[in-house]
Parts: sequence; C-alpha cells; structure tokens
Amino acid sequence: METWYTKRAVSGVRPGDHGILPYSGPEERNRVMSTFMSDALGNNEKVVYVTDTEPERLPGIGPRTKLQLHGYTETRQLVVVRREDACLDSRGRFDPDKLVQTLRTELARTDDEGYRAMRWTTDNSWLLHGRIDLSQVIGCEHQIAGAVGPSTMVMAVCQVDRRRCPPDRYAALQDTHEVLIEDDPRFDDGTLKIVQTYAPPGLRIEGELDHARQTRFAEELAQICLLPGPVHIDMSRLGFLDLGGLNLLVQYAADRPGGDPVVLDDLPPNVASTIDLIGWHRMPGLIRGRDRRAGGEVI
Amino acid sequence: MSEAFSHRVLPYGGVEEFLAGALPFLREGVAAGDRVMAATCLGSEMLLRDALGAAADRVEFVQADTWYAHPSRTLADCLARAEEAAGQGRRLRLLGEPVWTCRAPLEVLEWQRAEALANVALAHTGARLLCPYSARVLPAGVIAGARKTHPETVRGAQAVPNPGYLDPWAYNAACDREPLPPPPEHADGMRIDLVDLYWLRAYVADFARQTTLPEDALQRLLVAVTEVMTNATLHGAPPIHLRLWTEPAALVCEVRDAGDWNGGTGFGLLPPPSDGPGRFGLWAVRLLCSHVQIRTGRGATVVRLRVGLPPVRVTESLTAYPA
Repeated sequence: METWYTKRAVSGVRPGDHGILPYSGPEERNRVMSTFMSDALGNNEKVVYVTDTEPERLPGIGPRTKLQLHGYTETRQLVVVRREDACLDSRGRFDPDKLVQTLRTELARTDDEGYRAMRWTTDNSWLLHGRIDLSQVIGCEHQIAGAVGPSTMVMAVCQVDRRRCPPDRYAALQDTHEVLIEDDPRFDDGTLKIVQTYAPPGLRIEGELDHARQTRFAEELAQICLLPGPVHIDMSRLGFLDLGGLNLLVQYAADRPGGDPVVLDDLPPNVASTIDLIGWHRMPGLIRGRDRRAGGEVI
Repeated sequence: MSEAFSHRVLPYGGVEEFLAGALPFLREGVAAGDRVMAATCLGSEMLLRDALGAAADRVEFVQADTWYAHPSRTLADCLARAEEAAGQGRRLRLLGEPVWTCRAPLEVLEWQRAEALANVALAHTGARLLCPYSARVLPAGVIAGARKTHPETVRGAQAVPNPGYLDPWAYNAACDREPLPPPPEHADGMRIDLVDLYWLRAYVADFARQTTLPEDALQRLLVAVTEVMTNATLHGAPPIHLRLWTEPAALVCEVRDAGDWNGGTGFGLLPPPSDGPGRFGLWAVRLLCSHVQIRTGRGATVVRLRVGLPPVRVTESLTAYPA
C-alpha cells in the first residue's frame, strides 16, 4: 500500500526531488532539517526557507551554522523569505501563484549567484489546519512539482507536522509528492538497515539481522530502550532475525526501567513463527503490536 | 511442592490393568483441584470418560498423536503448563500415553530421551506424570527402556521404585554414545573459511528449494543453521564444514568444526529457566528442526539438523507434464 512514492533518507535527496517530510515532533524535524541544511551549506548549495521564524531559530540550525549565519545570509546561500513576501497576497491570504513565482525567481538567480543547486523548504502545516481551501494547496503543490521535477538544480522538501493536520488533508497533500523524506538511517550496510522512528518512538529494522551485525543493533536498541514508555520495533521489512537478535530484544525488554514493553510491529510470518514456537511467555517485556498485513492501521 | 514430583510408568496388559492404574490417578487429581490432562488415543479416552462419569468434564483430553508430535516441543509445552499451574498454586497432572508405533528408530530414541529429561525439567513444578505403556502392543525393548527413564512403576494401587532407573543425564549420554554414520557420498558441501551468514542462508535455501521442503519449515531451518554456524564460529575451531543432503523423508544439514565442545551447556536439551530471560540457543534449534544430533570430542564437533520432507505427490507431478 506504500508503493507509489519513494522513501528517501534526507542525505540522499537529489535534484528533481519534490519531497514531503511528515514529522512527529521538534526532535525529528530538527534532526532531518539539520542534515538537509548542513549538506547544502557545506556543498555550495543555496537554501531557500519560506518561514516567519528568525534565521537563528530555524529548525536544523546547529551551533556551528549559527556562528556563520550572518555570512550565509549575506552571501544569499541561506535565504529566509517571510510568508507575506513569498506567498500571501496584499490582503494576507494564501496566494499559490505567488509561492510558485517565488520559487521560480529564486531558482533563476541560483546559477548567477554561483551555487550549484537550490534547496527549497517550507513548513506547510499552517496550510492544512486552517480554513484554507485544500484544492488551492493541492494545486500549488502540483505547480511546484512541475517546476522541481524536470529541474537538475532544485530539490524541495515540504515539512508537515503530523500532529497538527487532519489525516484526510494530510493524505491528500502527501499524494502530491513523489518522495517521502525521512531521517538518515542509524545504520545501513546494504544487508541491514536501522532507522530511528519517532511516532511511535522506536526503530525500524530492515533486511537481515544476524551475528555479523548484532553489536550495532545492540547499540541502537540500548539507546532507544532508554526512552520512557513503550518502544516500537517496526519489523515490516525484516527478512531474517536470528536467535541472537531475538535474545537481545528479550534482554533489553526485560531490563527496561519502569517495565515499559518493547512492542514488535508487523512481524513477518517467519519471525512470528519462531517466536510462537519458543513461546511468548518466555519473553516477558516483548509484546506483539499492530499487524498491517491483517488490515490494521496504515500510517 | 518439589518433593511431590512423580513420573511413573504404568505397564498394562489389558483394559482392566490400564483403568486400575489410570483412574485413581485422574480421580485424585480432580479431587485435589489439579490441572488434569490426559493425552491418549481415542479408544483410551472413551474408556476413561465412561469410567470417570461426571469427573471426566474436569479432565482435559488431548489426542496423543497431536500431543506427542515433537519431543522438544512436547517437553517445552508440558513444562509451560506445569509452570503455569504451579504459578497458580496448583499442579499439572498428566496421563500421557506416548505414541510408539510407526516411529523410526531415531525418533524412538528421542522420545525415550524426552522421557528421561522430563525428570529434570519438571521436577521443580511438582507435576505428576503417569505414562501407560501397553505390554501387548509395544516391543519389549520399549517397555524395558521405560523402566530406565521412569523412577517408579505403578502396580495396582502401589508405586514401586524402578531398580533399573538411570540418572537422566547418564541416560542422555548413552543415547549419544554411537558415532553418527558418515554423510553420504552424494552430500553437497564445502569447507567454509570465512563465515558469511547471509551467503550461507542463501546457499542452504537454494538447496532446500530443490526439495519438497515447505517455505515455513525452510525459514525455521535457516534460523537453526544460522545459530549452529554462529556457535561454530564463536566457540568452535576451524575448519568448518557444511554439508547438505536428503534422505527418505528428510533434509539433513550438518555443520562440523574442529573444536571440542564443553558439554556443561547441556546441548540445549532443557528449556532455559522461565523466571528470567534465558538465552534461546540450541534449545530453540531443537524446537525449530524435526531432529537434532550432536557429537563432540576428539577434536571434532558435529551438529546434524534434520527437517522432515513431505512426500512428493506423484499424481500431481505426473499431471504437471502432460504427454
């Protein structure tokens, strides 16, 4: 059901990408945007950020960038455009055409300014929870996709706060983006990928986990298990889990402060069958979570 | 409650003897509020239900061929129920009539081993086990074997100690005294100098997919092979050899290394203690495969994993190739 778009780690964003970043809180947004900004600023790429937030308070502006902020804005490597200048008409209403025009204008200047590419980003959450006509927003996104898609110079990331926008409006907006942006994996060697998830907090493990990568998994699991509340392990893309990996899950689940569980979501049939055989009663602290294959919620 | 654990064999010649031993055992359990189970064949179940009358409702009957499907899984299942009952301040009382007919010699050996190990695994739960053995149907060797694996024999209303009862671990060691036959000439295999578990699984899966092994059994085998190979790498000594072959109705996967194994680990014959998170290693491997054989000593450790292959359905394969 999640096949129409490409999931891309933020450091893999490339020109032509029109991506959406659904974030679940400031921590996730800061992590992703920090990579997005520093990859640009360190690689002679320009960032155009449409926001009413002051540059020094932008998400993803780390202490190091903050020190050089003046230089970046002076040289127009970081351009912060206020909403009223970027996308509001004279009466303060959302003006989609103006937003697209702003993007095109900034893009046209990029080459002359000596930057090899332009990264465009804005937080769209305010467009989704207000009284703004959704069709206007969708139309605007289509226009932006039309400007970004064929370009070899621009990549766009639209941020959306999942907590603040209604699911139907979010789904409609996501539909207009071809790329889903997410945090860089904590680990990825082609065989095993470990991605931190935020809502719910936990890890997604993809590929195959056996002794060869156990240490790395243990490190990530140890970190995540320090968080309060239930921790979720998304196993939907896990092809193989060895007994050592299962032992780690059992061990960390049993040792969690406060006795909160480790929830195993979307267990693949082969992993579920191993656990069933051994017996869930032997794994205090591990519980079986949602199963999207069985028709549960799709996020 | 641990003193109360008992594991008795009830050799019987006919129905009268069977009921004379089984009925008091079950009735006593019902009266005491035990969790009472009877894993028997359908014939015995009908006899018992008739004789028990209303008390039969408080006995959980399960079919013996379902209950006795896999030695390690049955032992684990039995232990789980015994511990659950003990946790509720009750005890498990099981009348268990093992299935012996149609078993290959290797299977018989594993069931006898399970009978012996039940004495160790269940002792702390206070469970009471009574195992009827039909003297008419079963070979004399099986009954003689039962006297080595059950501390007591039931005769009429009496339980008498078995003089031939062996320490379970001594019995277990005797089960593995015979060396394993060498792998067949046609076995597929190789020496592994650099263990790449990912590649190894792909190799085993390729081999297995040429057989009738169902996908779920293959996935379990892959977990088992990965564990055994990981053990060989971490605790064994090079060189490591992997061999794969098929036998009638089984796929066999062997991992051999040049290390000597310290037998103190118990080779995963008993489940890890359930009061704390134990490590699922060889014990889980035994659950995942149909049959596991381990031999170690004199500079070699061999672990042989066997999974059952369903028979080829001849009619289907014929219709697949129309003339």
